[in-house]
Amino acid sequence: MWIYEKKLQYPAKVGRANVQMAKYLITQYGGPDGELAASMRYLTQRYHMPTPQAKGILTDIGTEELAHLEIIATLVYKLMDRASLEEIKAAGLGAYYADHDRGLYYVNGEGVPWTAAYIQSKGDPVADLHEDMAAEEKARATYEWLIDLSDDPDLNDTLRFLREREIVHFQRFGEALQIVHEYLDSKKYF
Amino acid sequence: MDREQLCMLKELMALEFTVLEFHLYLDTHPTDQRALMEYNSFVQQLSVLKRQYQDRYGPLTWQEPSAYPWQWINEPWPWEICYE
Amino acid sequence: MFTPNDQMRLARAYVPFQIFSKRLEPMEGLLKGTIFPELYFPYQRHKK
Ligand SMILES: [Fe+2]
Repeated sequence: MWIYEKKLQYPAKVGRANVQMAKYLITQYGGPDGELAASMRYLTQRYHMPTPQAKGILTDIGTEELAHLEIIATLVYKLMDRASLEEIKAAGLGAYYADHDRGLYYVNGEGVPWTAAYIQSKGDPVADLHEDMAAEEKARATYEWLIDLSDDPDLNDTLRFLREREIVHFQRFGEALQIVHEYLDSKKYF
Repeated sequence: MDREQLCMLKELMALEFTVLEFHLYLDTHPTDQRALMEYNSFVQQLSVLKRQYQDRYGPLTWQEPSAYPWQWINEPWPWEICYE
Repeated sequence: MFTPNDQMRLARAYVPFQIFSKRLEPMEGLLKGTIFPELYFPYQRHKK
């Protein structure tokens, strides 16, 4: 089960309302390399992990990604909340407004809704851990492109935090991969 | 949210983050005794600070006692806080 | 390029294990996104 904590993992600040950045950033909410995809990927892959370390790390990183999802939601909410309808139209979010007003929906930057097709669950722990490491690198790259697009130091501060988390996650998945390999190798000789 | 509460909330975030970092590390290094000792000591510090924060400002999670009326729904919710 | 040692085999990816030695103070760790200095690789903007 899961328990909600009524606090963010990181104090997510934005300097000013900015609908254009909200449109870019929402891909980390409902896009292919976003936090929802990350969380759903790890939490569904954990059932077929062969070692306790791998079960643990997928559970715990899958849970941390939910905390990141909440940070992204907070940023998008703050970027959009006080925006005028004119600003929303100017940023190309008129179509989004027609469907959702300023409500949060799981879409990528182009408005394509989230789909389970963004993730895989191969049932093979080596293949799945490789996917997870690639997912962390893709999320890291996305945060870098978002930082390039943004001139808001407060927003970038939070994006840098989230980017660094992807590096730590990569390291942990890499360690889990070695443990899984050693386990699978040990099973071959007896 | 006043300065004092915000300051305490950030301290809480920092301690909880340290606990999380050791937690993830220990998942793949379960026999690292020094990391485990540090983890246990930070868990202790975090629980003290969490108790203080919740006694002052209300529950952060469920299964916490509540004053009347039901405190859980009190605003601000995390996304409504101005963290500056 | 690095030379593989005798515990490594081809067609396999290797991430070196972290060995915990030092940590940052909680607030500094939070602001950096990790408490482990050896895992801290901040982004330098690309020239584009
Ligand atoms: Fe991640």
